[in-house]
Amino acid sequence: MVLALVVVAALWFDFTNGFHDTANAMATSIATGALKPKAAVLLAGVLNLIGAFLSVQVALTVTNAVVRIQGSTGAPRPELLADGGSALLLIVLAGLIGGIVWNLLTWLLGLPSSSSHALFGGLIGATIAGLGWAGVNWNGDGSKLDGVVGKVLLPAVLSPVIAGAVAAVGTWVIYRVTLSVAARFTDQGFRWGQIGSASLVSLAHGTNDAQKTMGVITLALIAAGDWTDTKNIPLWVKVACALAIGLGTYLGGWRIIRTLGKGLVEIAPRQGLAAQSASAAVILASSHLGFALSTTHVATGSILGAGVGQPGAQVRWRVAGRMVATWLITLPAAGVVGAVMWWIGHLIGGAAGAIVIFVVLVATSVAVYVRSRRAPVDHNNVNADWDPVARDDEQPRVPVPTAS
Amino acid sequence: MHNLGFALDGAWRVLLASLILGAGLPVLFALGIRSLAWGAGGDAEVHESGVTGPTPRPIGTVLGWACFAVVLLGVVLGITFIVASGFGKALSFEHIYPTIVNK
Repeated sequence: MVLALVVVAALWFDFTNGFHDTANAMATSIATGALKPKAAVLLAGVLNLIGAFLSVQVALTVTNAVVRIQGSTGAPRPELLADGGSALLLIVLAGLIGGIVWNLLTWLLGLPSSSSHALFGGLIGATIAGLGWAGVNWNGDGSKLDGVVGKVLLPAVLSPVIAGAVAAVGTWVIYRVTLSVAARFTDQGFRWGQIGSASLVSLAHGTNDAQKTMGVITLALIAAGDWTDTKNIPLWVKVACALAIGLGTYLGGWRIIRTLGKGLVEIAPRQGLAAQSASAAVILASSHLGFALSTTHVATGSILGAGVGQPGAQVRWRVAGRMVATWLITLPAAGVVGAVMWWIGHLIGGAAGAIVIFVVLVATSVAVYVRSRRAPVDHNNVNADWDPVARDDEQPRVPVPTAS
Repeated sequence: MHNLGFALDGAWRVLLASLILGAGLPVLFALGIRSLAWGAGGDAEVHESGVTGPTPRPIGTVLGWACFAVVLLGVVLGITFIVASGFGKALSFEHIYPTIVNK
C-alpha cells in the first residue's frame, strides 16, 4: 500500500520534473520562433523519452550523494528495514512530496527552479526529521566530491557562472562574425543551429533526470522486499519513468518557458544558438567528469550570458535576481515540506499516515492547478510581450500574468 | 574544505572543454554561415545601399560546408557520449581521436 503511494508519487515527481524543465532546452527556440511552440515541446518530449531509455546504467545510489539511507551497493540500510521497510518508505514518500510541492509552486510562479534540488531538498528534510542531523551526508568523506556541499551546493554556484561565461563569449564572437551577413542567411542558419543544440540538451536531460526517479522507485521496491537485484532496474520502472518524464515535457511548463525565453532576455537567434550550445557543452562536459549538476541552473546561466554577450541586449536583472533567490531557497523550502510531511505521517503512523500525506499532496496539486487556470499561460501566449505596453493599434490581447 | 578544492579543480576543466565545444563549435557554425554568404555574393552580405555585391565565389560555399561538417562531427560526438554513458561506457580521448571504452 505505502509502496504503491511511493511509486505513484515518484512518477508524479518525474512528470513535474518533465514539465518544469522543458524550458531548459526549448525556451530559446520557442522565443525566437525557430520552432513552433507545439513542435518544440513534442521534440523535447520525444527526446526525453529516448534519453530515459538510454540510461540503462544503474542509478540506484542516487540518494547516496545527500542522505544516508542506502549502503554503497544501493541496498537500503538494514536498520531501516526492521519494520518491513516502512521507515524508509515514509522518508522517501515525504521527500518526494516535498520535491513535488516545491516544483508545483515554482511552476505556478513561472520560476525555473532546479528539480534535482527540489528532490534532494525534500529527501534531506525528510531524513533530518526521520533520522536526525547525522542521517544527512553533508560533506562526504573527503576522498572525492561528495555530500550536500560537494554534489549540490558547489555545482549550483559554479555551473551557472561557467555556462554564462561560455554563452557570453560565444554570443559576442558570433555577433562579430556575422555582422556583415544578410539577415536571410543568418536567420535560416541559426534556426538549424538552435534546433540541433536544443535537441542535445533535451536528450541529455532525459538521460540524467529520469534516472533519479528510477533509482528512487527501485530503492523503494527493494525496501519493501519486492525486488532484490541492486545491479538492475525493473523494466516496468524504466518504461513508467520514461513515459512520465516524456509526457511531462510534452505538456510543457509554459509559464517557465515564458520566463526563460522572454522574461530574462529578449532572445535573438544567434543568442539562442550560443546559449543552447553552451548549455549542452557544460552539461556533457560535467557529466563526463562526474559532476552532478542541475540543467536548470546551466540553462539559466547560459541565457543570462547570451544576454550579456550581445551588444545592446537588455537583461532584466530583476527577473534574474528573483530566480537566484528561488534557487537559494529551493533546498531548504523543499526540505521543510519534506520534514513536515514526515512528521505528519509519523504522528499518524502506519499506512494511514502515508495515505494522509499523500492526500495532502493531491490536494496541493489540485489547488495549484486551479489557481493556475486564473491566468493561464499556454502555447498561444507564451511569446507575448513581457512588459505590458499600452499600444493603441492593437486589439485587446490575451492577458498575460506579469507577476510571474 | 576538500570539496571546494575538488570542485574548483573540476570547474576549470569544465570551463575549458565547454569553451572549446560550447562556444567554439557555434562560432565555427557562424563562420560557416558567413562563408556561405561570402560565397553566394550579391546581396547575401550587407553593403552600403546602392552598391551591388560582388559576384559569387564558389570557394566560400565549399569552406562554409566544411565548417558545417566539423560542427556536425562535434554534435555526433556529443550524442555518442550521451548514448555511451547511458550504457556504462565512456569516451576516451587517450588516443586524441575519441574511442569508446568501459567505465
